[in-house]
Amino acid sequence: MKTEIIRKTVGLDHPTVRKVIEIAENLMEKNIVLNIETLCNVAKKELKIPRKGLLFIIHYLIDKKVLIEGSKFSKDTVLLNRFRKKIYKFILSNPGVHFSYLRKKSISGKNISSGKLIWHLGMLIKFNYVKKVKVGNYSILLPFKMEETLGKLYFLMRDPIIYEILKLMIKKKLLIKSEIYKEVNEKREIVYYRINNLMDYEILIANPESEKQLIINPNVKKFLSKILKSSKLKKE
Amino acid sequence: MALNWNIEVIIDFITAIFGIILTIITYYSPKAKKIKSLFFIRLGFILFWVFILTDGFSFLFLNKILGLLSGLFIIPATLFIIIGLNYTMKENIYSYGLIIVIGLSSLLIYSGFQPGAVYIEFQSGYLRMAWGGLFGILGMVLTAIAMLYLFYWGIRTWINAPFLIKREALIFFLGILTIFPFGFLFYLLYIFEPIFILICDISIAIGALIISLVVIREPKILYILPFTIYRIAVKSKEGVPLYYHDWSESILNETIFTGFLNAVQLMSEEVMNIGGLLDVNLEEGILILKESKSITVGLVSSKSSKLLRDSVVKFTADFERKFERELKKSITDPSQYEDAFELIEKYFSNFPYKIIESKKQPLLLTGRYLRIPLELENKLRKIFTDEEDYESIKAELIKSPLSFTSEFIRLHDELKDEMKQISNEDFKLLDED
Repeated sequence: MKTEIIRKTVGLDHPTVRKVIEIAENLMEKNIVLNIETLCNVAKKELKIPRKGLLFIIHYLIDKKVLIEGSKFSKDTVLLNRFRKKIYKFILSNPGVHFSYLRKKSISGKNISSGKLIWHLGMLIKFNYVKKVKVGNYSILLPFKMEETLGKLYFLMRDPIIYEILKLMIKKKLLIKSEIYKEVNEKREIVYYRINNLMDYEILIANPESEKQLIINPNVKKFLSKILKSSKLKKE
Repeated sequence: MALNWNIEVIIDFITAIFGIILTIITYYSPKAKKIKSLFFIRLGFILFWVFILTDGFSFLFLNKILGLLSGLFIIPATLFIIIGLNYTMKENIYSYGLIIVIGLSSLLIYSGFQPGAVYIEFQSGYLRMAWGGLFGILGMVLTAIAMLYLFYWGIRTWINAPFLIKREALIFFLGILTIFPFGFLFYLLYIFEPIFILICDISIAIGALIISLVVIREPKILYILPFTIYRIAVKSKEGVPLYYHDWSESILNETIFTGFLNAVQLMSEEVMNIGGLLDVNLEEGILILKESKSITVGLVSSKSSKLLRDSVVKFTADFERKFERELKKSITDPSQYEDAFELIEKYFSNFPYKIIESKKQPLLLTGRYLRIPLELENKLRKIFTDEEDYESIKAELIKSPLSFTSEFIRLHDELKDEMKQISNEDFKLLDED
């Protein structure tokens, strides 16, 4: 096919132009970096038209903004989106946050849909900025490099009663359930419910020497002290 | 009268005739026919071939007058090559080099009429015509200047060539390298051994052949240096944008450009009247405005030029003619004017595109043309009910890893389900406020 033939009838509906677009789509679908060199080489093989004619079509597609300058997201560029960066910063300063809280904080009063928030969150997860961890029925969000145990603790300690219980346990080292209930000064069932939760998550365990007594799981202790020392939860 | 046939005469004749034919062919190349700079360069080359031809005749007849005449042909050859190259590089014929060449040319003429300027010598086994003293030196200096100019032009053209014609620019530069320094090196060696002039002649002929073929094939080479054209925009009389085309990243952004065009259109009505043409000097370029009966065309370039103004005038007239029906019906949908790309090709085909700087520059397909499976598209549409949201997500989609869309839909469903479950549970962990 001669270049001149293309020139006279060029348009987005031109069969060769459509084919070049299809080739570009296929390259992108295969996750191959799309650039003029690749597009030209592949299209030349498939369409058997001269390089000059192909370049003319590529020019035309660039001119019509069908092909635009830019590259696929990378770890560096994914944070260029301001809203995404805000979400990331929020998770950094609120590790272990649940999606509903994130949603409340980031989109209330703003014209942003939950779908859009989840989209950006998904991007942060995909590019290993954030990880999603299951705690019971809950999906919590924490910075990618944060240890899961620490993240879970952050999540649980957002509850003021759990915070009080764990603070008390750090101070007293070992306590039985009723002692905890008395010290926390809340309804019995509420306190017991949380103690059971903490036992389910193996944050509190039975003292090997006396089963009635509860102690903090030694593996969790270092994380707990870290949280209590940090200002992240105290601020809230 | 016995003719002094020898190898130098034969090579001179072959080179000159080959060069003349080649140059004449470029006159008939439709793409390169009307290029002003090329006219001067061609003239310079023709005179250079005439110099070689006369040189050959002077050897053949062992005629001192022809020997002197051939030397004098170097003057117009060098002058026209420099004028042409100046014009190519800056759309202006003047340069310091031209003044120097004019000065040296006067000296060459003077020295040519001095005793011993042209003499017959016996060397390399045959009789030949030689230039002596100042005449010989100046002849060589002038040739060297023309070749140096060519080299400078070639290297600048190659460096500045947009990637789409980089390959042609490289071949063009290789052609020039064959003339300078390769050909010139043998020209210098000719001082010591006249036989080297044969290699010099052949190098120049090969170089000229390469240059000519590249210019005939890709005349954009000649428009890399004089100016950069950024954008052309067509607006209706009511100020509605109908068409635009970019050659380079514009120095003005789109809003400013359109606003500016509107303002100038209003202000300049009295100045321009209908059919008028106006140059507006911008800080970093120039806006050429052409007002016609039903449209205003604005072209932004780095410099004004007669060639550009002519192209704008012709483009405007053809645009009005081609879209007469649409303009009469006051159609403002830009898609109806997309075929104007043909007019861009017709009137601006010699100006190189500079939008894409490298063949390795990553590109993306815009959302409009990205194929999304129907099922996935329906799901996305359900999630993003707002059209603007949907389009912005589609724009992100083209940059996202391939598997991301399905991952996103899974995450979306999971979080939505979780939210429903949590709202029914009596667990206060989330009520932090």
